[in-house]
Amino acid sequence: MNADPVFLAVAAAMVAGALGTALCKNVLHAALSLVLCFFATAILYLLLHAEFNALAQTMVYVGGILVFMVFAILMTSRLGEKDLESGAGRRAAALLVSGAFLFAVVQAVSGAEELLSLRKAANEGFASFGDVGRLLLSPAEGGQLVAFELATALLLAALVGVVAVARRPAPKSDPEEEERR
Amino acid sequence: MTGFSLSAVLVLAALLFAVGLYGLLSRRNLIGMLLCVELMLNAANVNLVAFARFESGDPASGALLSVFSIAIAGAEMAVALAILVAMHRRRRTLDADELNELQG
Repeated sequence: MNADPVFLAVAAAMVAGALGTALCKNVLHAALSLVLCFFATAILYLLLHAEFNALAQTMVYVGGILVFMVFAILMTSRLGEKDLESGAGRRAAALLVSGAFLFAVVQAVSGAEELLSLRKAANEGFASFGDVGRLLLSPAEGGQLVAFELATALLLAALVGVVAVARRPAPKSDPEEEERR
Repeated sequence: MTGFSLSAVLVLAALLFAVGLYGLLSRRNLIGMLLCVELMLNAANVNLVAFARFESGDPASGALLSVFSIAIAGAEMAVALAILVAMHRRRRTLDADELNELQG
């Protein structure tokens, strides 16, 4: 295995963030570890020369989803409260399942000869902003305009649904409810 | 010049996914479980980008696929968090073990 020091450092940061997310007792600390993991992932995308992905990762995940997560944590938990402890049996079972998964995948990846022979088929600027933007908005063959519009509709529907679900219910005034009281 | 192979990235993504799976199975706090789902989605995205870089007939489309995956993950997380906030308002708890109303 060739050891590129930059790749190793980024991988170590990603794994450290992931472990913090999975193991921290305090949920807020877990969310902050996830920020570390996502930033390291964005750097990994830069190493893979996928600039558009690195930017989307930082803006959507770190800037959007995680801020939202932190707000939800602060709204739902009292600070300083001990998090719910899970028993040793459950942790052992989780370790068994995830360890078995990791073992199976690493076996499959290291056994595949054809993976080792691949060497950076794509050229360096394969996901530059210009290329990806043209692809995203092109109605021609191979363009992704329809998928892009569907994604916007999905996000709009999700936002409306979120407001409907999380809104405080209006004071009840229908007659059946009044009778029951 | 980057000197790492596709296998290295795939093993890294598998490790991230396994850590996320462990957290998802072992945590009892619903928001904590959601954070671990994010971790697993992120590992899947790393795989998509790695394959787009190393072996792809249409690399820009491969990279774009993971952008769509990020957008859908964003919608999913927004809905999940809204459900959690509504549930916390009703039940005052986020313990997954307490949500057993459908248990026979």
